[in-house]
Parts: sequence; structure tokens; C-alpha cells
Amino acid sequence: MITAERKPLSEIKEMIAPYKKILVAGCGSCVAECASGGEKEVGLLASALRMDAKMEGRKIEVNEITLDRQCVYEFIDQLTGLVGQFDVILSLGCGAGVQALADVFAGVIILPALNTAFIGQTKEAGLWIENCRACGDCKLGYFAAVCPITRCAKGLFNGPCGGSKDGKCETDPDAPCAWQLIIERLDKAGRLDLLQNVYPPADWSKQQGKGPRKIHREDQSI
Amino acid sequence: MDQKSAGLNITIFFCQQLDANQDANRRVLERELGSRIKFFPLPCSGRIEPLHLLRALETGADRVYLIICPEGACRYREGNLRARKRLAFAQGLIEEIGLEPQRLELIQTTQGDQLTIDQRAHDLLARKAAFGPNPAKLQGSRGQANNARTLEPMNPGTPDVYQGVHYDYSGKKTFI
Repeated sequence: MITAERKPLSEIKEMIAPYKKILVAGCGSCVAECASGGEKEVGLLASALRMDAKMEGRKIEVNEITLDRQCVYEFIDQLTGLVGQFDVILSLGCGAGVQALADVFAGVIILPALNTAFIGQTKEAGLWIENCRACGDCKLGYFAAVCPITRCAKGLFNGPCGGSKDGKCETDPDAPCAWQLIIERLDKAGRLDLLQNVYPPADWSKQQGKGPRKIHREDQSI
Repeated sequence: MDQKSAGLNITIFFCQQLDANQDANRRVLERELGSRIKFFPLPCSGRIEPLHLLRALETGADRVYLIICPEGACRYREGNLRARKRLAFAQGLIEEIGLEPQRLELIQTTQGDQLTIDQRAHDLLARKAAFGPNPAKLQGSRGQANNARTLEPMNPGTPDVYQGVHYDYSGKKTFI
């Protein structure tokens, strides 16, 4: 899941200041799960913007819509016919959603209301943690499904570093030591033998240095 | 001057476990004050969402109260604890737009307190009016049938598009 947090209202207000007719567009997927851009959050932001304008004596019109998914054309198409009625679309989608809207509706001003944060997991109600850097070269199979790139502060492939205390990382006493987890889980699974291997550095060329990545599959194309 | 005499609009969200006859007990006050008082019984105060509280302010409430069960006495164990956190979140949101956070207030009842919902409402109405009318509420937003607002067409010629319209996933429109 892609996580995000709402921008401060002051920043949103500054962005939308020149516009009168605003459509707040949420996304019912990842950002709904992390309670930053779903239907409820669309309602909260729209209400806040309307009340804020009322308090300042400004006349604006703020409407609401939540798409199932803001990064897929078939869902974005629900906005066709609506966008022309607004000066601006204030997106509560992730960065991919904002850019997808802008691709489909060229010439329409699309503004982000969220700061996209990371790929994460809902650890518990109200707690989301980063556990994937989308490196493009997944090694979870060797490390008991604990990503050392993301969850080890030092990104060690051949850990542990020796700095952990009581199973917690020395850089953050709230964060579990990734290598402690890896060793405990491999031990439970009877696969400590995997630790005999020496793992080479990650192949970062799969993530960086070539511009935006893409996946193209002929079998999925029409 | 008390809140009733000041003519303030009061919205009360409350856990209906607090008063088994809440449905009947609130009728007299509802008839007397009409749209100036609105009761929203909740199956548990943990059902409250920050959005409910903001919508109440936006659609005309001057003060919004959330009445919850005594600590440790929630029928569903933690509903009142969640209600407290959600109200605090909503307070942060309205503070961001310059509205007094105290316009949203949590009322935690105490063990052994057997007051009915109308008695509690009378107590709240008798409180001193610490705030005037809510400057953020939209005009003409209270007192409409079924809680609806008079909505101005956003674009003349496209009368089905209104301020405050919500389009759901299927494109169906509902008025808020």
C-alpha cells in the first residue's frame, strides 16, 4: 500500500487561492486504507475548506468525489464531463494518482493535497510502517520476509551490525532490529543455513539511474 | 446569558446506552426548540467520526457535544476511548481554520449518573454562552427538512450540480 499524509491546510489554501470552483477528488484505494485520501478524508477537507472560506468571507464552491482508484484510467473516466465545471481538481490521491489525472485531463489544473510517503503495511489500527523501498530486486526470500534494505537502518545484507539492544535498533529504540527478526524467523523455520551465504550488494540499477521505471506486458495489452 | 436564551444551535451526539428511553425522552425538547437542537443517538460513542462533527458545525451547529459513557463502562469496552481521540482530532481540524476547538466538547458521564438525555440536554442549554454563533456555518443550513440545505446551483444551466454535492463511486449524487 502507498501511504500518504495530508498537507497542512495553510499549504493547500495557498495552492487553491486563485480558484473559486474546486473539486476535491479522493481515492478509495491505498490512501483510503491509510486514512489520508478516502471518502471520509475528502469530506473532512472539503468541509474544512468551505468553513474556512466562510470565516474569511471568501466565496468558493467546493465539491467532493471519491474514485475507486485514481491511478487507473477506467476509474478516472468517472470525472469526464465533470472536470470542465471546476477551476481546479484538488487530488487526495498519491503522487501517481495526481499525475494520472493530469495525464488524462490535459489543460486542467490538478493540485496535490497529500504528501506521498512510502510503501507500507498497516501494522495496527492507526499505525503504518514502511517495509518496502521498491528496489526492483527483491531478496525477501533469503531474509525470512524481512527487508534489510528498508527495515535495517544501515541496509545491511550481511548483518547484524552488533549495535542493537534488547532487540531494538540503536538508531531508534522503538524500531525492532531487522536482523534480530531475520535470525529469529529463520531459526523458527529451520533455515539458519541461509545465513552461511554472503550476499552481494543490491543491484541498484534496477531502481535508479534510468529515469522512471516501467513495466510493459504484451499479454496484458489490448 | 445561557445557551438556550442566546438562541444557539446545539447538536448532541450521544451513546444511546446512556438512556434506554432516549427516543421518547428527547421528543419534548425537540418539539420545543425545533431545528435549534439536534440529537444523534449512536449505538456506541465509538461510532463517531470526525466527519460527523465537522458536518454538524458546517451545517449550522454553534456548539457540538459528544456525550460518552463513564471510563471503564463502555458496553463495547473501548468505544468511549476512541470517541475521545476522534473528537480531539476534529478539534485540531477546526483549530486549523481558526474556529475555537471548544465548540466541540466531550462530556464524559460519571458512574451512577442516571440522568436522561433530555436532562443532560437541559444542563447543556443552561450553560453560559461562552461563544456566539458559529462564524463558519453556511447560511441557511439549519432548519431545512431532513437536514437538507438550500443549495445554490453552481453553474446556471446545469442545475444538478450543487455546492455540497457528493458523488459516490457509482456516480450517484447525494446532498450533504
